[in-house]
Amino acid sequence: MKPSENGAGTDQQSPMVAVNALRKTYPGGIEALKGISFDVWPGEILGMLGPNGAGKTTTIGILTTTIRPTGGTAVIAGHDVVKESLAVRGAIGVAFQESVLDNEFSALENLRLHARLWRVPRDEANRRITRLLAAMELSDRANDGVRTLSGGMRRRLEIARALLSNPRILFLDEPTLGLDPAVRQGIWEAIERLRTDYGVTVVLSTHYLEEAERVCDRVAIIHEGRIVALDTPNALLRSLGEEALELRVEEDPANVVSVLGRLGLNGSSPLVMGKVITIPVGEGSAGATALLDRVRDSGVEAAAMGIRRTTLNDAFLHLTGTGVNGQNGN
Amino acid sequence: MIRTASLVEVAAAGTFTLYQRRLAVALKTVSGIAGTMAPPILWVLLIAPALDEAVGGFTPNIDYFTYVALAQVALIVPFTSMFSGINVIVDKEFGILREFLVAPVFRASIPLANALAVLTISAVQVALIIGLGEARGAEFDTSPSGVLWFGAAVALLSMTTYALAETLALVVGRQEAFGPLIPAIGVTPWFLAGSLFPLSVLPPVVEQISLTFPWTHALAVMRYGMMEGTESGLVDIWHMDSEPVMAALSVGVLLVMAGAAMALTLRVFNRKTMA
Repeated sequence: MKPSENGAGTDQQSPMVAVNALRKTYPGGIEALKGISFDVWPGEILGMLGPNGAGKTTTIGILTTTIRPTGGTAVIAGHDVVKESLAVRGAIGVAFQESVLDNEFSALENLRLHARLWRVPRDEANRRITRLLAAMELSDRANDGVRTLSGGMRRRLEIARALLSNPRILFLDEPTLGLDPAVRQGIWEAIERLRTDYGVTVVLSTHYLEEAERVCDRVAIIHEGRIVALDTPNALLRSLGEEALELRVEEDPANVVSVLGRLGLNGSSPLVMGKVITIPVGEGSAGATALLDRVRDSGVEAAAMGIRRTTLNDAFLHLTGTGVNGQNGN
Repeated sequence: MIRTASLVEVAAAGTFTLYQRRLAVALKTVSGIAGTMAPPILWVLLIAPALDEAVGGFTPNIDYFTYVALAQVALIVPFTSMFSGINVIVDKEFGILREFLVAPVFRASIPLANALAVLTISAVQVALIIGLGEARGAEFDTSPSGVLWFGAAVALLSMTTYALAETLALVVGRQEAFGPLIPAIGVTPWFLAGSLFPLSVLPPVVEQISLTFPWTHALAVMRYGMMEGTESGLVDIWHMDSEPVMAALSVGVLLVMAGAAMALTLRVFNRKTMA
């Protein structure tokens, strides 16, 4: 099921993941989560977008029962993550940010070990292993030691392993981190097939904007332990304006923003990243082209200027004041 | 999807799977098998006869070769346990522990399965020592009761020292730091446990300290079970007349130590693997 544009699921269904006021403070006082709440609906792909340290991995850790929350509740497939952790683990599959394979064994042996831990009957496990290896294009490497597999193959193997128990919900923590673009593309296609072929609900964390935009039905933007926005990628972009005027300036961008403001040319709210000023053009404005002409005529000096589509990074910058990769904004 | 199963089934199945995996890791390579089997063979075929030749005459009423062969058991078992601590660090830092932590198995199954795998490897090593020792002329008492005392002491020593190893591995967390602890903890107490000479020849303070080691009690019970005659070491520990009572007391001490060590391991495991 793909949720509606406002993110609500159908009334007939219960959320596959229900998180309410979830908090986590680590020993030493580091507050990783400051009371986040969200639901994930059956068949949905939810992306958690944020820079390193935003709280994405802590959230996945709590939902997969490897981190204890210090407040709030989280329910997975009807089971509380604290009180019914064993049942939760029986309902989920997880592919971690780092490679978590048994390096002493082959791809096939890793899958068989997983099947036994999740108590998949042997014949059924063999059928699923054959199917998943083929789906992840790993059939010809099944008997090779995992040490000999490339990064992309290892990641595909981990996704296959996570699916082996027919999980109702799959957690993918930074599934394409460190992979080259071609491999990343392959992983995205594999994730998209999870829903179409298996109907799996997916929660993934990422700090790749393209990944969030391309793969996810909804995106939760997480910043400093809080969800600052949760909506479909399109809705997040629309809230900012579909197009943006981008200026690359030589002088202090704050001065240029000030001048644009005095001239009434600063659009909805200018975003500054280094020497680049981005002015999203909101709905109902004169339009990006008209704004470009007016800025050009105003005498503001820019090394370059142009129009482009707004991205989730703009939305992220707008909502958090920092870029999704952690660079400082205005 | 996890099948409907009782908690006991889940616990047993999870522990057994993890146990088999740990054994498979240990025996995956030729070097792993050789490293496991070579020490007991070398000890029985070379070192024990040499020790017998060199110092065996210190007391006439025992067969020193048999005495030392049983001491080897008390050396090999903790040493194997300590070495297995490295696997805990590898699993945690580079390997598959995180996969196990999200598996529908009880968390306690993970260290328990490790301990059982180490116990199995130790049992094979002990069987080698006893078999080869017998072939080389050792005189073991293999009566059922003797074997039972011996087996209990070996199992409890293995569980205690493995629990200690896993706890240390989890606390230390790095192979570089754990490595030096292997000989320090795996071997040093053994020298003071009445392994090569009776406790009574140690300085009194050291003798008292040695009574707190599981090695001391285990070795005395092993000798009580498998050596005919006296000089098991139990009298040096308990200063009583009845050897069965003293053996039972030492087994009791070992039980308490093994239980406490496993409880500590489970506690440390939970704290170190759950943020």
